[in-house]
Amino acid sequence: MIAPRHGLMLIAPLALVLAGFFLVPVLMMLPTSFAEYVPGAGLAKGVWTLENYTRIVTDDYYREVIWRTLGLGLFVTLACLVMGYPLAYLIARGPERWRVPLILLVIFPMMLNLVVRSFGWIALLANRGLVNNLLIDLGLISAPLKLMFNLTGLMIGLTHIYLPFMVLMLVAAIRNVPRDVESAAATLGSSRLHVFTSVTLPLSAPGILAGSILVFVLTISALVTPRMLGGPTYKVMATLIYDEFMQLLDWPSGSALSFALTFMAIGVIWLSSRLTKRWAGMA
Amino acid sequence: MSALTFERLGKSYGDATVVQDVSLAIKEGEFVSLLGPSGCGKTTILRMVAGLVTPSRGRILIGSDDVTALPPNKRGLGLVFQSYALFPHLTVYENVAFGLRRRKVAGAELEKRVKEALAMVRLGAFGERYPRQLSGGQQQRVAIARALAPHPRVLLFDEPLSNLDAQLRDEMQIELKRLQRGLGITTLFVTHDQGEALSMSDRVGVMAKGVMQQFATPEDIYHRPATGFVASFIGKPNRLTGSVALRNGAGGTLSLGGGLKLPASLIDQPEGAKVDIVIRQEAIRLHRDGTETGALAGTIALRSFSGARVQYVVKLAEQVELVAEAPSSGPDSELAIGSSVALAIDPASVFAMSAEGTAA
Ligand SMILES: Nc1ncnc2c1ncn2[C@@H]1O[C@H](COP(=O)(O)OP(=O)(O)O)[C@@H](O)[C@H]1O
Ligand SMILES: [Mg+2]
Repeated sequence: MIAPRHGLMLIAPLALVLAGFFLVPVLMMLPTSFAEYVPGAGLAKGVWTLENYTRIVTDDYYREVIWRTLGLGLFVTLACLVMGYPLAYLIARGPERWRVPLILLVIFPMMLNLVVRSFGWIALLANRGLVNNLLIDLGLISAPLKLMFNLTGLMIGLTHIYLPFMVLMLVAAIRNVPRDVESAAATLGSSRLHVFTSVTLPLSAPGILAGSILVFVLTISALVTPRMLGGPTYKVMATLIYDEFMQLLDWPSGSALSFALTFMAIGVIWLSSRLTKRWAGMA
Repeated sequence: MSALTFERLGKSYGDATVVQDVSLAIKEGEFVSLLGPSGCGKTTILRMVAGLVTPSRGRILIGSDDVTALPPNKRGLGLVFQSYALFPHLTVYENVAFGLRRRKVAGAELEKRVKEALAMVRLGAFGERYPRQLSGGQQQRVAIARALAPHPRVLLFDEPLSNLDAQLRDEMQIELKRLQRGLGITTLFVTHDQGEALSMSDRVGVMAKGVMQQFATPEDIYHRPATGFVASFIGKPNRLTGSVALRNGAGGTLSLGGGLKLPASLIDQPEGAKVDIVIRQEAIRLHRDGTETGALAGTIALRSFSGARVQYVVKLAEQVELVAEAPSSGPDSELAIGSSVALAIDPASVFAMSAEGTAA
């Protein structure tokens, strides 16, 4: 066992870096989020207001972007989970000699630059992109499908980009499920499907939870891919915040939106941990 | 009719044969142990019975049903794992109820049978706990209750007591045996601990390197070992090298080196053959200053006290030493190092084994 005092010393370097370069700047943004923005002039001196926050819930446009962001996070997380679990199961439980090649295949896309990968999706999904051209040439559709500048495009792109994170988390979790416990269920009368649903799945819940939180948080805070596949008009919170800061120079509004995004993420993490714990009997 | 039968059961992984043509028949209600050193294939046999490992050869019958090709969930067996393998995400109650629910037992009947099984292992008050909130011994008892609750046709144990400390292990041995007797349930028990196997079983199968060496009652295994391996694996053996000096009927005389001679009632090897000699410590009687005929004379080289017994290392000749025991409170309990003693050895407890590397 490590004594608490030594434990503190072990995390001290990281804690200092995080405090200095992350926590302090974030806290410095807090007053800004309560300041009033005067177009053309910047921050109004000595005036404090809740307006920046109330606008987020009352303004239809902001509300739409928030729901869109949450929906996107949810869809991408579910898509990664549904597609990632079978693959992770194969890697964790399949033939030993497949394991390393499969993991390399999973990691490989992460070695390509994010911008390059997003451009790849533009080439595929654009109105005159590969997918639409192919479908039109095959005579399956007559007018191009709208695959970009909407939820579909963002979902496809982000799912592809965050799938490896989910798979790696799930592989670790599935490998941690003791085989004897599964065998015990089988000898007690469980079919293979029942062994999976009653033992393997709940016992890999920690990995499902960790992978989901990771993918969800990465998705709702993603900037580059939504900007490229969503264009200047189809915005999510991250791109909206970016524009508030960099285009409109409305720092108070941008700060308030940033804090709103953070609290949404924390809220979702808290809720999903509770649900998972109840489901997997870890309470 | 036998409750559980193996017919030339075998398992190979690639070129490595792990279990070789094991045949045996276990009677209804019998308690049978498979005993052998680690890696001899005991677990593999048990997992083949449970349906978790597919046999390479041979058949397994439960009653008169050939179950060789059945999946584990169709065999109706109870298996208790060395690692306990409890469901960590379920309460003790739900762990025990698991197999019953699979058999569509529900409602009041379910509750009655879970309570019954928990009461049998004296854990009636622990239903609401999670496995991680229990001690090792309690977890083991939950595992037993879980296996018993669905009334399996055969109960299988894979070294269930080896993770417990010595005292708890002795208690559990007795408790398990009582439970098994009371229920009359056919049991196959795997262990590397000879004390466990001999004390609990109606019959014991001794295994070495995937081969069944002997399948017999504990008394036969101990007093009439069928092979040299069994003789040297059971009891607390002294091992010496020597040769066959004289054959005389089934037995004869062995030569120990240093000019010492030792009678043995059973010798398979011809005169002059080099042999390894196994003499059980507990078969040697030790006396102050021998006048007894046929006794070997020696001097005490070392004494070690272990509670109920005292062990002496007795030097018989240059390079020839034997370990002998005496009760720790008798007249022979306080022999000093260097004092001379006589050893009387029962010829029936002297076993000659073909020496390593020479043909039998
Ligand atoms: N899946 C496997 N692949 C290859 N060899 C195995 C496998 N399982 C067990 N063995 C080998 O079979 C032998 C017997 O194993 P086991 O039945 O577990 O022995 P025991 O339970 O008697 O200690 C060991 O040498 C082990 O290495
Ligand atoms: Mg084993």
